[in-house]
Amino acid sequence: MQTKPSTFHFLLFIISGLLLVTLSLVWWNSSRHPAPIPLTPTLSGETEYCITCHADLPEISASHPVETFGCVSCHGGERLALNADLAHSAMRGGANPSDLSVVETSCGGSNCHSGSEADDRHHIQRVTTSVQSTYAGAISNILFTFGAQPDLTARFGIAAVTDENTKTGITSLQAFDPVSANHPSIQKFGEECLTCHLHAEPREGEAFARETGCAACHSTETHTLTTAISYTQCNACHNRGNYDLRTMTFIERTDHATTRLQDYYQPIAQFTQCEYTLDCVDCHTRSEVMGDGDIHNDQASIEYVQCKTCHGTLDELPRTKKLTDPNDIAFTLAFLNPVVELKLGDTILVTEKGEPLWNTRVLPDGTYEMIGKATKQYFTFNPVMGSACEQKPDEQESHYCHECHAVEK
Amino acid sequence: MTQISRRDFLKLTRNGILYLSGLLATGGLLRFLSYAPTAEQKTEFDLGSADQYPLGSRTSIPEIPALLIHAESGFTALSLTCTHLGCTLEPNETGFACPCHNSAFDSDGNVTHGPAVKPLQVLRIEITDDRNIKVFTA
Amino acid sequence: MRPSFFHHLHPPTIPADQARWRHTLGAGGTAVFLMLILGVTGILEMFYYIPTPEEAALSVQTITYHVPFGGFIRNLHYWSAQILLIVSAIHLLRVVFTAAYSHPRRFNYLLGLALFVLSILLDFTGYILRWDVDICYPLLTGTNLIKTIPFIGDFFHRLAIGGGEACSTGLLRMYVWHIFGLTLPIIILGIWHAFRVRRDGGIAVPPPQARTDNARISRNELVRREVLAMFIVGIALILLSSSVPAPIAPAMDSTPAAIREAASQSAKAPWFFLWVQQMLKWGDPFIFGIVIPFGILILVAIIPYIFPKPADSDIGTWFPKSNRLAQITMGLVSLIVILLTLLANAN
Repeated sequence: MQTKPSTFHFLLFIISGLLLVTLSLVWWNSSRHPAPIPLTPTLSGETEYCITCHADLPEISASHPVETFGCVSCHGGERLALNADLAHSAMRGGANPSDLSVVETSCGGSNCHSGSEADDRHHIQRVTTSVQSTYAGAISNILFTFGAQPDLTARFGIAAVTDENTKTGITSLQAFDPVSANHPSIQKFGEECLTCHLHAEPREGEAFARETGCAACHSTETHTLTTAISYTQCNACHNRGNYDLRTMTFIERTDHATTRLQDYYQPIAQFTQCEYTLDCVDCHTRSEVMGDGDIHNDQASIEYVQCKTCHGTLDELPRTKKLTDPNDIAFTLAFLNPVVELKLGDTILVTEKGEPLWNTRVLPDGTYEMIGKATKQYFTFNPVMGSACEQKPDEQESHYCHECHAVEK
Repeated sequence: MTQISRRDFLKLTRNGILYLSGLLATGGLLRFLSYAPTAEQKTEFDLGSADQYPLGSRTSIPEIPALLIHAESGFTALSLTCTHLGCTLEPNETGFACPCHNSAFDSDGNVTHGPAVKPLQVLRIEITDDRNIKVFTA
Repeated sequence: MRPSFFHHLHPPTIPADQARWRHTLGAGGTAVFLMLILGVTGILEMFYYIPTPEEAALSVQTITYHVPFGGFIRNLHYWSAQILLIVSAIHLLRVVFTAAYSHPRRFNYLLGLALFVLSILLDFTGYILRWDVDICYPLLTGTNLIKTIPFIGDFFHRLAIGGGEACSTGLLRMYVWHIFGLTLPIIILGIWHAFRVRRDGGIAVPPPQARTDNARISRNELVRREVLAMFIVGIALILLSSSVPAPIAPAMDSTPAAIREAASQSAKAPWFFLWVQQMLKWGDPFIFGIVIPFGILILVAIIPYIFPKPADSDIGTWFPKSNRLAQITMGLVSLIVILLTLLANAN
């Protein structure tokens, strides 16, 4: 029954060999993995290892260098994990950390985009109260139409928002809850029409993952944030199809138009040349698009840029401003999207509310120049004053201009 | 009465003293270990303006966790902590379900399925003069 | 040749029966070996583990992903702990099914049972030390369960986690219990248990006159077999640990809302407490979570004291007639625990 010492030593020899093999296996296994690549962003000082796998991503923008911000300060996630599932499991907003449900953690903070109103860095407050985010006008329109509210005053938004210091008289919007609505059309509207605004829950699918929050406008390509936003980015939502008010459904476009004019908007609309040559952001200002920090009743009460903003009327030249303050916001905006080199002493156009059209310039001969924010193209244009135009100065909405200047589709 | 020898008496007393000392030491150890350092447990939650919660709304407040209900009769805050062993309830079609031990409650907080016995706690609410809602968990 | 220290830990000769694998299943020896591995790997982990709520899960991730072989060491620690519970249970079953608990080994049976309970508590506290989103509900329900004990519940709750609400506090206590408060007793009781095995006449076998085989083996032979067994178990552990990683989950955010949100994704107890979790679904937590589990523990503990003493010739033989009642009791208890575990896992 005794094991012979020689048998034992033979067995021990075999088993030692096995042990060496298994330990070598462990060693080989650990050397197989690529070496983790650390990154310690100066902002957080906390080392993260995301670029071990994500080294090929382009820098998100010149204002957010990865050495400073890293990945985790915006995206969240487990900064130390080298297992993809664990590393990604705690990411904010999935593929879109700027989704408005998490934006305050991702993009906010007094050093970032929820700073004070005074230095004009209250971007998140502006966006969450803007009509692009609340959809307040459409909701009140529907509720009024189907008898659920007595007038067209906005009471509801896609999400609840408050603004105690509002200048519009609307201090808060309640979250619109179509489920409890008593009219089937309102319920249908709730099901069909609340998916594509900035504060909405994004629709299912990779294609819609970045169609909410800041990314909806500012992320034009994979992992990019920019203020050079081309019309195609706006079209992703504003030209996606049309709605049918009788059935309360949205009909997605299926056609593939070849020219920009053909591709544009509703079939009945009319467009002047600048409307289908320039990009939307060349004329429409930050406060129109991103909101001005106040809750507005509907789109019409915030959108104000008209043809006359740049062209003036028969009576008046467009407003201009000579840049004398080196801290003028125009310089900041031009710095963020350097298509034009603004200098102190330059004269630019400004809107009726005084917002700078920083990509314009008054030329010495009295004409104007605009540089496309996304295209970097130069355009020159003339004031109405002194031209053959006969339009009355008090009838300046675009449809009056379209009567002569529009191209029919 | 039987006489006990001096030695037995000493031995008995000594043992008694030792047992007592052991008891005291154990008691001291247990008291030492049972101290709870004061951890500031938040019991008051400011939910902001009452206008954010329209009539008929049921809003989940995950940080308490509780459900704020605005009914005709006014505001009620229903605790979403399971009365069984303290897990957080998840809303479903009929009310709330506990992920830990299958307890279920209807939307008013009454038990519809064990093991929980007690209905959900209704938290104390205060509405301040400037229409701010405050919820108290203790 | 004078025997070495390791040889001296063994008696000069033992009956060959005591060292047969089919008799002992090797469970006790494997448990000792696993505890040694747990001690060594645990100390290694302590070089990197940081027992603060903010850092704990991150330091576990550092161990797992960045320390060279850290993941492997952690897997070894994890798998040793899980297997320890299984071999301890097998050891307990063997002792009952071979009537080995009988006098004079009754006291050592209790020591062994205490070791088993300590192992479970060590496994639970070790699991909590991960301090990630998966551990919150088990810690919360486990400690709230303690609170349900009448009169002394709150006191024991403070003893366990130092008061406050589990998940936001309690890590330091769990750490100290794991590293020291439970480990020190398990070492002392473990040595005592081994000492009593020898003092009580070695592993239980029938008395010499009832044995079929009266051969004896030397301590040299015994040590050889132990060495071979250690190598085999060690190699198996290494293979397991290098291929199946120990569970890990995202770090717990320290804000209560975030903790609750994350925790709700995983409400499952660790596997060795699934049977209790299943019973807790049935009713009063004190009855189903405290009284019944402790009742079962006490029932198992008093097996040597309440059932008829097995015949001397039956001691150390498998399933002898004379301790049928003990076998049935133990068998039923194991069956119930296994069924409850399967039931909980199926839900």
